Parts: sequence; C-alpha cells; structure tokens
Amino acid sequence: MKELPQTVFVVDDDDAVRNSLKLLLKSAGLHAEVFGSAPEFMSKYDAAQPGVLVLDVRMPGMSGLELQHELNLRGAAIPVIFITGHGDIPMAVEAMQHGAFDFLQKPFRDQDLLDRVQRALTRDTEYRAKLRHTDRIRERLASLSPREREVLELVTQGKANKMVAGDLGVSQRTVEIHRAHVMQKMEAGSLAELVRMMMAIARQP
Amino acid sequence: MLRAAMVASDENGNGASMDGGTARVRTIIVAGQSSQRTRKVLHALRGFTNVIWPTSLESALAQTRSNDAGCLVIADDLSEEPIDEFLQEARELRRSLPIFVITDPDDVAEAVSAMRHGATKVIEIPPSYAALCDEVMRAVQ
Repeated sequence: MKELPQTVFVVDDDDAVRNSLKLLLKSAGLHAEVFGSAPEFMSKYDAAQPGVLVLDVRMPGMSGLELQHELNLRGAAIPVIFITGHGDIPMAVEAMQHGAFDFLQKPFRDQDLLDRVQRALTRDTEYRAKLRHTDRIRERLASLSPREREVLELVTQGKANKMVAGDLGVSQRTVEIHRAHVMQKMEAGSLAELVRMMMAIARQP
Repeated sequence: MLRAAMVASDENGNGASMDGGTARVRTIIVAGQSSQRTRKVLHALRGFTNVIWPTSLESALAQTRSNDAGCLVIADDLSEEPIDEFLQEARELRRSLPIFVITDPDDVAEAVSAMRHGATKVIEIPPSYAALCDEVMRAVQ
C-alpha cells in the first residue's frame, strides 16, 4: 500500500497567519494544508494521513483546545503544536496535560516552529511504525487456534512445557507441537522475542 | 545550595492529617534553593504536616523514591542541576508521583518545558498559593 505523504495541517482563523505559515512550511520543503476553522479541519481530516497539526488556541466557535479534546476522543494520535498570541500558564498546562506536542507563543521565530514541526513529524513516523508493528503482531495472533493461544499465554508466563501440559491436561508432546505452531505463526525466533511481542501489544491499546 | 529544613512535622515526624484524622500522612517534598520564593512556598504549605525541604538534590530524589512520598514540589531553580533534568530523574524514579513545578507568572515557555519533562502541573506564583495548597492536598490525601 502506498504511503500517504506527511502533511503539516494548519488551523488558524487568521488569513494572514495561515498564508504566512503555508509559505514558511513550503519554503522548508514541507507539504501543508491550511484550514480556517476547527470544524473545517475535522470535516476533511483523515487519521490515516501522517503529519502534524499546528493549531491556534483561540478561534471563534470551536477553540483549539476543544479540537484537541475531540481528536483525543476519536483516538487520533496526530502530534499537536499549539500556537497562540494570548497564551497563559493554565492554558499551556491544560494543552500539555492533554497530550500536546508543544505550545508556542506568538511571535515566534520561524526556525523555532520549523524545528518543532520536524520533531513532531519524526515522532509521528516512529509512532506509526510502532502501530504497524503491533498490527502485524495482532494479525499473527488472530491466526492462532484457541489451544495455541492458551499455550502462548502459558509459555510467555515462563512456564516450561511440562507445566503447561499439566495446566491444560494434555501430553507434553502435544504442548511441544502447539508451541512449534505458535512460534511459526507468530514468526518468533525465540521465546524472548515472543515475550517482547506480547509486551509490545500490551503496551499499545 | 539547598538548606535543610523540616517544616511543620510533629516530634515523631508523623503528623496528623489536615482534618485531624490519624491516617498516615504522606511526605510533601519541597526542592529549591534557599531563596525568597522557596521560603514563600514553604510558608504557603505551613498548614501541612510532613513537609520536608531536603538538604540536597540527591536527598530529595531519595525521598522521592520512598513509599511515603506524597508529592514533590519544585519551588525554585536548583543551583546544582537544571530543573528539567531533575524533574526527569524524579519522574523516572516514580512514574505516578504528583510533581508540581512553581514558575514565575506568565513564563509559558518554562511551564511547557516542565510539562514535557514530567511535571503533573505547573503553578504560577504569585498569585496562586491557594492553587498550590489545593493540588498538594489532593496529592497527599
């Protein structure tokens, strides 16, 4: 499947700010899409599209903080960089507590924003790579039979084949066969790798 | 340089809860150099028992590691180490410990940096001593 391009989404109700940010981002070789309001952005945003959101805090109608809340409710993990001309500490703390990547006060230096955008894009790339990795593990997990799942759970708890056989009421040879199938289906080279896979999906909802 | 102080604990170091109950009171650790701001923070917290102001950052981290720790208040600059590094160390030691950072009013950049490095909340002082006490109260209850 073809990767979608990384995009810097800019949401700001001020035309001049939107246009200057678009020019700045373009001059840095970044693909940018600009929106004049939070609802306009929400109506067009596709969570599968990688990128970063540069978001004004104060906008008429839905504010930037409300848009962040809405994105969180939808489980969208896009990094958000807030920009504001009227920021205060409670506002910045609220944004950061809700997972903002950064919070910048206007006026800021162009390079400061570009640096943060680049860091946010890197984080988004890493996050999506982790997500793809755990998705692949989940797909492999779904291919296991119920008995193989039971064996997987017990061996990743550190139990030896003999103990697993006792727990499941089957022969040790049967456990060995199931275990071999588990290793093959999960594409795990070792028990340690299998444990790491299970930990990776446990960490990620 | 941090100076030692034990504030408002009883002679056994156990203290009583704010509502007069007898439940174990968790320690409120204050970190900050000997400055007017640190003293004001300590003064604001005078109604709490088991407020400690460790002698060094190492000691503050050791207290943070303790199961009795209720919260950490970073009251002021730490002359021996940047706040963000200390904050990160404390956060790594105790993932769930409430850590409050006191900043000057309107220092948004410092507040954002503190949040990024693991602060639970940043409180600007002055004016919000009451907000600090509310947060500390919630943390130790």
